[in-house]
Amino acid sequence: MKIMNCPLNGPRNISEFVWGGEVKPMPDETKLSDREWAEYVFLENNTAGVVREWWCHVPTSYWFIAERNTITDEIVKTYPASEVFKSRVDFAGAKP
Amino acid sequence: MALPKVFAHNQLRRSPIYRETQKAGAFPEVVNGGAVPMHYGSVESDTLVGARMGIADLSVLPHTGFKGAGTIEWLQGQGLSIGPDSNMAFRQEGGELAARLAPSEIFLIDSLAATGALIQKLNGAWGWGTEKPRKLIGYPMPRQDSHAWFMVTGSAAPEMFAKICGVDLRPHKFKLGQIAQTSLAKMSGIVIRGDLGQVPAYHLLADIASAEYLWGAVLDAMGEFNGRPVGLAALRQLAEG
Amino acid sequence: MTAEMNWGGTNRLPNRGALIDRSRPVTFSFEGSLVEGFEGDTIASALCANGQWMISRSFKYHRPRGVLTMIGQDANTLVQIGDEPNCLADKRRIAPGLVVEGQNYFGSFDSDAGRFVEWVSKFLPVGFYYKTFHEKRSSWRFWEPIVRAMAGLGKIDPHAHHGYFDKQYLFADVAVIGGGPAGLAAAAEAAKAGGEVLLIDENPKLGGCLNYARFDESGEAACKADGELLNAVKAAGNIRVMSDAVVTGLFADNWIPVVRGNRFYKLRAKAIVVATGSIEQPAVFRNNDLPGIMLGSAAQRLIHLYGVRPGKRAVILTANDDGYAQAIDLLKIGSAVATVVDLRADPPQTALSKAVARAGITVHAGSAIAEAYHHGNKEHVVGVAVAPVAGEGQLSDPTASYECDLVLMSVGYSPAAHLLLQAGAKFAYSTASHMFEPREIPAGLYAAGSVAGQFNLDQVAAGGRRAGWAAARHAGGTVGAEPAEVSDPGAAQQTHPWPIFPHAKGGEFVDFDEDLKYDDLINGIADGFDNVELLKRYSTVGMGPSQGKHSAVAAVRIVARETGRDLAALTVTTQRPPYTPEKFGHLAGRIFDPERRTAMHHRHLELGAQMMPAGIWWRPAYYGPKAEREKAIREEVNAVRNDVALIDVSTLGGLDVRGPDAAEFLNRMYTFTYAKLAVGKSRYVLMTDQAGVITDDGVACRFSEEHFYVTATTSGVDAVYRSMLQWNAQWRLDVDVANVTAAYAGVNIAGPKSRQVLQRLCQDIDLSAEAFPYLGVREGTVAGIPARLLRVGFVGELGYEIHVPYGYGEALWDAVVEAGQPEGIRPFGVEAQRVLRLEKGHIIVSQDTDGLTNAWEADMPWALAKTKPFFVGGRSTQIMAKMPLLRKLVGFTLDDPALPCPEECHLVIKGGEIVGRVTSAVNSPSLGKVVGMAYVHPADAAPDSKIQIKIDGGRMIEGRVVKLPFYDPEGKRQEM
Repeated sequence: MKIMNCPLNGPRNISEFVWGGEVKPMPDETKLSDREWAEYVFLENNTAGVVREWWCHVPTSYWFIAERNTITDEIVKTYPASEVFKSRVDFAGAKP
Repeated sequence: MALPKVFAHNQLRRSPIYRETQKAGAFPEVVNGGAVPMHYGSVESDTLVGARMGIADLSVLPHTGFKGAGTIEWLQGQGLSIGPDSNMAFRQEGGELAARLAPSEIFLIDSLAATGALIQKLNGAWGWGTEKPRKLIGYPMPRQDSHAWFMVTGSAAPEMFAKICGVDLRPHKFKLGQIAQTSLAKMSGIVIRGDLGQVPAYHLLADIASAEYLWGAVLDAMGEFNGRPVGLAALRQLAEG
Repeated sequence: MTAEMNWGGTNRLPNRGALIDRSRPVTFSFEGSLVEGFEGDTIASALCANGQWMISRSFKYHRPRGVLTMIGQDANTLVQIGDEPNCLADKRRIAPGLVVEGQNYFGSFDSDAGRFVEWVSKFLPVGFYYKTFHEKRSSWRFWEPIVRAMAGLGKIDPHAHHGYFDKQYLFADVAVIGGGPAGLAAAAEAAKAGGEVLLIDENPKLGGCLNYARFDESGEAACKADGELLNAVKAAGNIRVMSDAVVTGLFADNWIPVVRGNRFYKLRAKAIVVATGSIEQPAVFRNNDLPGIMLGSAAQRLIHLYGVRPGKRAVILTANDDGYAQAIDLLKIGSAVATVVDLRADPPQTALSKAVARAGITVHAGSAIAEAYHHGNKEHVVGVAVAPVAGEGQLSDPTASYECDLVLMSVGYSPAAHLLLQAGAKFAYSTASHMFEPREIPAGLYAAGSVAGQFNLDQVAAGGRRAGWAAARHAGGTVGAEPAEVSDPGAAQQTHPWPIFPHAKGGEFVDFDEDLKYDDLINGIADGFDNVELLKRYSTVGMGPSQGKHSAVAAVRIVARETGRDLAALTVTTQRPPYTPEKFGHLAGRIFDPERRTAMHHRHLELGAQMMPAGIWWRPAYYGPKAEREKAIREEVNAVRNDVALIDVSTLGGLDVRGPDAAEFLNRMYTFTYAKLAVGKSRYVLMTDQAGVITDDGVACRFSEEHFYVTATTSGVDAVYRSMLQWNAQWRLDVDVANVTAAYAGVNIAGPKSRQVLQRLCQDIDLSAEAFPYLGVREGTVAGIPARLLRVGFVGELGYEIHVPYGYGEALWDAVVEAGQPEGIRPFGVEAQRVLRLEKGHIIVSQDTDGLTNAWEADMPWALAKTKPFFVGGRSTQIMAKMPLLRKLVGFTLDDPALPCPEECHLVIKGGEIVGRVTSAVNSPSLGKVVGMAYVHPADAAPDSKIQIKIDGGRMIEGRVVKLPFYDPEGKRQEM
């Protein structure tokens, strides 16, 4: 069984984690055509190489980001999501 | 043979496993509005068992939690000493443990004296307030009722844990006060090392609804070490050394 | 000799047997006869000691088979012990009263009717299954009963008891696999760095070959090395030894499964030394499978480990110095050595070969065994013919024959590289040593000893030290100077390149497990399967229980020669775990199956509830005996509609969403709007994913400006919670989400009399309809217990959900049941609740919706906010609004009272096409007719449209679309 290094809890068996999909910052949905939006929702890059993925440590429900090589299945590094998502996101018209 | 005078089902607050401890012959006393098993056999024999391999049900003892932005600052303002590391538990003056589960999350368990003083004080102090904008002070968590609280004690405890848990909890790898939030017997749980005197001991906090399952799974894993339930009195005895 | 001294079998040797305890006699039975042995004996060693050489019959031809390896590496010794088939008789130790039986025979073990299969073997050609069943499927019907009866290994007892198996984690800095000289040296060296070293060995006694092999005439070399190495291991305080433990695989990040007894250890090490040794390889010649023909190392194991004489007169076929050592072993126990047959044309003069010559033993250099003889029953070898080697695999006419009762094969080795190969190491065939040798080994993994091509005892120990040093360094230990690199030129004299001698009359077994002869492989290659991997699957070579441990190298050699390819460019077939067979019990372990029980669980059981799983929760389905299910559900429904009843709703998901952005957060997570929801009120929540598919629902209760208590479905709450956290990791709103599902127990008191029951328990909340209306939420106390109260209407009657801390749940239940006695309160279960909500037309997400259902299909546009800027799934929902609807969820009823109630997933048909399905349907006790929900064609969605439902047996029945809800359409009852 592989080991994954959780930024909060340290190295743990991969069975303690669930995968949450590729990290895909959401585009401004008001500026996309229907087709572009559908592509964002349904299409994945399926990159051969290093990808950024969401992973969740289940016992703590802690979401973080892992960089993983999809060819070798090597986990390159893991870090808190706040390193990528640094500030508050608002949508047009939402209260500040 | 003496018979118990206190029954869990006469109390408003009930341990999720009170039937199990009752079957095992617990003699309970009322603490925090519930019945906690104080001893099974004699306190002396419980203590001997506890030094080797024992498990105690502390679920009705006071425990609570706080979480969210401002939690640590607020608790420190209330006089708690909380260190910088997540996954470490910090001992308070009264013997309570403030377990820092995450940068802004504390799981607070009472000392074995179980006076509830600190926890009552904090529960009373927390409020939404009237200030605008409100100063963020975290939010109370219903840990008393989300988590059953067991204590697993004895020299065989680390090896027993290796049968249900993938984290190396042996004393030379898992320091005093260290926390593991991990999978135990296939359910999520929190383990805090909190030795009793010289005896290795671990607080085990896990989903209250699965408490009967977990109690059974741990007892089963303890079997080969001749482990059995012990009462709070034995834990106090062990803590005194 | 006295009878007492004879205990343990007539072939028992005095003063030998490192593993047996002669002070502890043990009696067991084999094939119904009592067998005497000693503690420490294996089944096979005890049988051999007693002259029982035949231990099993072979898989296909039912030929008698005896011991081959004495180390559990072959399938010759598979026996049945009670309900456990396929036990390795040369590994399993005897115990008093053990009942052992042979396998694969008809009638009796000694005269198996199935042995005549061999006479018709030409009808069982290589690739039998492919040829027979590839084209004519009907032929399977003819062959199946025959194949099933003849093939297979042992007998399965479907009523076998479940043994107690379990698992345990282990941790080490350095794991050393193999307790032979290389492993001992590696462990001792690694331990110097101070880390935790775990030495794992599959045998009961450390030392490996030092316990049985001979490295010099006197035998002192092995003793000396054994003593020194063992002492070093014992002296180190940080080496833990696990004997009798088998490493069955190597997985990612040094995850090492170790099987010992009934326990499956899951070891994680920072570095690993693989010192698994090598596997002695048999020679291929006619009748090489007869009992009495064994590997040289097997005979040495019998002698030195078990004190058993392997035979009285031996012929030794060899191609290395070990064959000469074995001759000395036999001479020392007083057995005769008829001759040594050496495949090498010009064997080097060594100390051992000189000693053999001094003993006056004839050596046939440049010769091989052409054939082994038996007395017509194949039960034991009685002699051999010896012929000069004329070329690779070719023999001249025999020049001599010898009578013997023992033939030893000592013609070479193959590294036990399985674990290294599994871990990704690359091995290549060396034309110098005629063995596969490691070329590339992944980081953190080190090989030592004969698995790495080291055979000389000093070189093996040096190799071990170097590997142990490197492993300790990789594990982060503080190490001294690097030991010098090791190479063993002597390895070139260990293994013969071609110990394979086909015979005109056949019978040269390449694979004992699968009964494959030389010709079978040649024919398989001729059939076009000229690649090792393909030939394996076609001929089944290497697919038996020993997984090619003795046949893979021979198969590679044969393929290389037959296809004219360079051996150095070939590899053995892919090695996969497990290295030795594991039991399912080991993999299953002590099965951990967590379940969740509500605080009222035992009250339900006491009331006779039939419990049903909901996720990992248990919930009461209904109360009463199974035989009265329908009646119980009907009465429970009626109690809610007419009087008062209570249901345990503790399993309902609960989330506390708190903070300045709580309302904004819910606006984004759910389809409705929550910013303006008044404190003390609740509102339905519907969650969609980014594709606009409905994923969950519940209600959001606003207890304060910044505090919402949001319910979710029992099975959906964990995913909802996780999804909320993932979204907010991106949005970074000032909100805290806590999953408090288990922390709150809850009951729903429902029915027209629920208010008067609750009033007796709740003094601090005004329960009147005006003060606490439908959809209101309050905090207060019930029976002295702090509670959250919700006026919700899932079942469509006046009702209150009361949520209290788990620890008070049972007390709450008791209090409500007692307070409701005057009204005759009774509990109701999930089944009745499903009926009640269906009468009200409320959907259950994941029953009435599926992985594609959007809000338009579910006919819930009322739950979609139109003015807010964003919610998850909102953009997709807008897009789908513009697309033609493919189906729609509607209510239906059956007008013909004679028609049966359809079941969930019965299909809705229109014009011969499937257009939808029934999602829920019941005989409604409140309405006296069948009501249900179904997906129908949008053209049929209007009330009074007719739909066709295909029920069991293909019968079509007609339903009529009805506007929802079926019951109390004005919703007056829930608002009382």
